[in-house]
Amino acid sequence: MISVQHLTKRYAGRTAVDDLSFEVEKGEIVGFLGPNGAGKTTTMRVITSYLPATMGRVTVAGFDVFEKSIEARREIGYMPENVPLYEDMRVKEYLTFRAKLKGLSGRDARGRVGEVMDLCGVTDVRKKMIGALSKGYRQRVGLADALVHRPKLLILDEPTNGLDPNQIRQVRELIKHLGEQHTILLSTHILTEVEATCKRVIIIDKGKIKASDTPENLQNRLRTAGGIELEIKAHPDSATNLIKVLPGVRKVTSEELPEGWVHFTLRVDAGTDQRVELADLAAKNQWPLRELTRKVASLEDVFVEITNH
Amino acid sequence: MRVFFILLGKELRQFFLSPLAYVVLVLIMLVNGVGFYASISALTRTASSGSLVTWLFTTPWFYMSYFAVFPLITMRLISEESKLGTLETLLTAPVRTIQLILSKYLAAVVFYLVLWIPNLLNIWIFQYMSGGAAEIPKGPLLGSYLIFLLMGLFNIALGLFASALARNQIVAAILSFTLILLHFLLGMFAIYLSSQRVQSFAEIFTYFAAVDHIRLFTSGLLDTRPMVYYLSLSVFFLALTHQVLEFRRWKT
Repeated sequence: MISVQHLTKRYAGRTAVDDLSFEVEKGEIVGFLGPNGAGKTTTMRVITSYLPATMGRVTVAGFDVFEKSIEARREIGYMPENVPLYEDMRVKEYLTFRAKLKGLSGRDARGRVGEVMDLCGVTDVRKKMIGALSKGYRQRVGLADALVHRPKLLILDEPTNGLDPNQIRQVRELIKHLGEQHTILLSTHILTEVEATCKRVIIIDKGKIKASDTPENLQNRLRTAGGIELEIKAHPDSATNLIKVLPGVRKVTSEELPEGWVHFTLRVDAGTDQRVELADLAAKNQWPLRELTRKVASLEDVFVEITNH
Repeated sequence: MRVFFILLGKELRQFFLSPLAYVVLVLIMLVNGVGFYASISALTRTASSGSLVTWLFTTPWFYMSYFAVFPLITMRLISEESKLGTLETLLTAPVRTIQLILSKYLAAVVFYLVLWIPNLLNIWIFQYMSGGAAEIPKGPLLGSYLIFLLMGLFNIALGLFASALARNQIVAAILSFTLILLHFLLGMFAIYLSSQRVQSFAEIFTYFAAVDHIRLFTSGLLDTRPMVYYLSLSVFFLALTHQVLEFRRWKT
């Protein structure tokens, strides 16, 4: 659906996007993840043909966004960051204007606007001025606008930015629901968001792709993939020496707690689990054991690991 | 073409549903009315060479509205869109930049023409009330409306250009006011030069002289040179506006 080949975008003296290449297949929900200023918005603006690329080629549904810009734009429903809207228009009036602008006939627009207003939950504010709406409603009006012309591809730039937890959940549910019929590319710097909605994550930093995989695979691929928490009654140093030699253990730190308990934190290799060995070790040495848990690396760990070099 | 008319409809709605439009309309009516009264009282006091039409468009009152109206009409056209960020939603929809610019331009021209209705009414009511005793010369009146249409086309294109340059409406208004004033003063310079007997220079400057154009057309003389001048400059500034919008996308 989207094909980005060697995309480079330079502003005066600054490279925002540096030789970026990726594909998004039909029906995928892809999360674009990166710290602020990583080049997410710039890439999306090139895909939506708002900005021309310095170098490289981008096609949407087979249309080159530079040469066949109008045709490409018809396939895209785009919601820019901060959702720009006309403050002095009413919700229904705005959506009808947008529907007609994007090529729907008058009659078709009327029906479709009603549909997307229901879908996005803005029917009850359809007669209100957009300027008087809360942030959550504005976001949903923006989403309704992106959907109104039945685009094959949705591009959403930080769709949950500035919403409260309840609204974030609602928008996420909506995106998941939309993912059944649309191809979606969304950007965010909130990690739980991609974990919750996306089937594939592209992590970019300083205009370059750092990783591209499913959320699960990314977690598994992490070098110090996870940890094990262990709490026993033992001598910290001698126990550390015994634990350290177990296969797959990279690092052991200990912390003494009251009443002779010691808390050990283990960093272990990806895809390994030493809990059985640790339980055996505790039994053999007659260490009283009160905690033994495995912690899986969150996407947040992956993100920090990849973008902090 | 359909996209153009949808955009034009939106622009016209935004014009006529905003309070600004009616403030401008009232302001123009007021200034026009006072100017009308001033011209008639000047004509009744002493014998004079010009007709009511010539007097009407040479009062200071008229110039007040002339300089105020274009910045007021054009200042928000593009600057508001770029400030709100709606330029992005417009230009990522299947809309060509040229359609966007022309729809804004035409909407402003339509609004400008509406602003002339009170003036027409003034003359019509005056003629009616005087029972046909007051003669309004048809030719000069037609000439006047033609030149103000032409100057309107030019000044609105200039204002649209200023609005594309500035993100802030006030800056856009001041910029277009300055450009319109400069153009006007260029013509005044011609009059100064001819009084200094530098004829060759003066002749070049008379091509730009708005005052001179008004003088010719309000006396009923339809000269094609100013027509071509204003029309070609309008096209030039519309093209320039297009370049500014495109260039801004290339730059940032």
